[in-house]
Amino acid sequence: MQEVKRKYVIPGDIVAEGNLRPLVNVFKNGNSIVATRIGITESNQDGAKVIPLSGIYFPRANDIVIGKILDHSSLSWSVDINSCFAAHLPAQDIFGRDFSPAHDDMGRQLSTGDVIVARIAIFDRTRDPILTIQDKDLGKIPTGELIKISPTRVPRLIGKRGSMIQTIEHASSTRVTIGQNGIIVVSGKDKEGTTLAINAIHMVEVEAHTSNLTQRIKQLLNVPESEIENDDAQTSVSSDPTINQDEINSNSKDKEMGMINSNGSK
Amino acid sequence: MSLSKKSTVIVENLRKKQMREAISTGKRLDERSLDEIRPIEIELDVIKKANGSAWVKLGNTEVVAGVKVETGEPFEGLENSGALIITAEVLPIASPHIEPGPPDEETIELARVVDRGVRESEMLDLKKLVLVPGKIVYTIFVDCSVINVDGNLLDATSYAVVSALASCKLPVFEIKDDKVVDTGKTQEPPITTLPVSITTVKIGDYLISDPTTEEEACMDARLTITTNSKGSIVAMQKGLKGSFSIDDVKSIADKAIIKGEGIRGKLKGMINIG
Repeated sequence: MQEVKRKYVIPGDIVAEGNLRPLVNVFKNGNSIVATRIGITESNQDGAKVIPLSGIYFPRANDIVIGKILDHSSLSWSVDINSCFAAHLPAQDIFGRDFSPAHDDMGRQLSTGDVIVARIAIFDRTRDPILTIQDKDLGKIPTGELIKISPTRVPRLIGKRGSMIQTIEHASSTRVTIGQNGIIVVSGKDKEGTTLAINAIHMVEVEAHTSNLTQRIKQLLNVPESEIENDDAQTSVSSDPTINQDEINSNSKDKEMGMINSNGSK
Repeated sequence: MSLSKKSTVIVENLRKKQMREAISTGKRLDERSLDEIRPIEIELDVIKKANGSAWVKLGNTEVVAGVKVETGEPFEGLENSGALIITAEVLPIASPHIEPGPPDEETIELARVVDRGVRESEMLDLKKLVLVPGKIVYTIFVDCSVINVDGNLLDATSYAVVSALASCKLPVFEIKDDKVVDTGKTQEPPITTLPVSITTVKIGDYLISDPTTEEEACMDARLTITTNSKGSIVAMQKGLKGSFSIDDVKSIADKAIIKGEGIRGKLKGMINIG
């Protein structure tokens, strides 16, 4: 396993020095890599980056987000995706290419206040993001409990290869839909399971940067010791790049211990 | 129909359903009971150049009030009373739903309702604030800025105004050679009572106190009742087009008196007055 060096930084702090590649939330200044956000640094052979501890959601193409329908014009719905950008869902995405504002009633498909899970189809920073719901598991969410967490905690909630969220789903018998923008919908058969899952999610949000979080979450969820061992083995490999990019989360005790080492040797 | 900008707060349908279900079981989304008021924090003298000031935090709602005392002509018809002017503004940094520009309908209502509570309770004995009857009186400005919006601005602003006024120090003015002179001394303001406002809203068939922004976006009607230190009702304001039954109003009034007494005790403790 390659060595991972971590420390807490604020904008302007030097993350690492040397011939490293600047990855995310950093810039290169001469021979130094400088942080642009508050967070935990991570540098290895691939380069140096900062994993933010706070901040808003910044859209990226192909992110899965949960949005709230605000209104619609004759051609698209405007969707609040908990970001500084208002997203748009084109009417053609639902009605098809032969959509006609004169014949198709957009209000019947999605109305103000409806919650959708969507994928960011296009976003290039010059215009507001365009959403699509034409994919598996996307579309309107009819039931469930909606909660909001900081978007920076989403990778920790998902866990390495989805391990954390799978643990929560499995132990509380619920289905948790996570948007990269920090909006989460928990749906379950009974109130008890839903409440348990919501408590666990809130715990992840508050304690995301602490060590041994996975163990404490499992204690909260009353996961038996035998299953704790199995969980890691059962986790499926996700192809979602947003999940893999999260390196602060880990079920391995070594890594978690490393993460709180704020002195992080360089 | 209100044209206010704050009414553009849209709550997700899922969240609305969650809220209604929670309220029907006697709990709210933030785990409070229906008539529970969020924790109140008060810090006094936050503005050094003002004659009195208070920063009030009611849950996540934050309001700063400042008192400035000057002299001027009395209002017409109130020649033997000091002048009291209360204003309020909601700053654009307070919420994503507030735009800069002239105050909207709700902000004007906010200032008027807070002003009414203080004026009608006769919190300040304005008759004691006259220098030359009919000509020169104390003019007290209380300016409020809402710096964070999370519902129930009416009560938070009211507590800020009452705290700032009760803790302010009035400069002592004198008339010398027909001119007003500031003696440099200060005096306690003539406080007679502490008005406390309690806002209750109706969501479906349930009455809830101290609503958050989310709850305000779902409310059908709103009733603000201000009581004085004797527990008498001194001012009321009803908002929105929903309705209250007679029993609702009685129950809200009873709660306003009981809860008001509790908050008055807290305010007295925080402001350090008897």
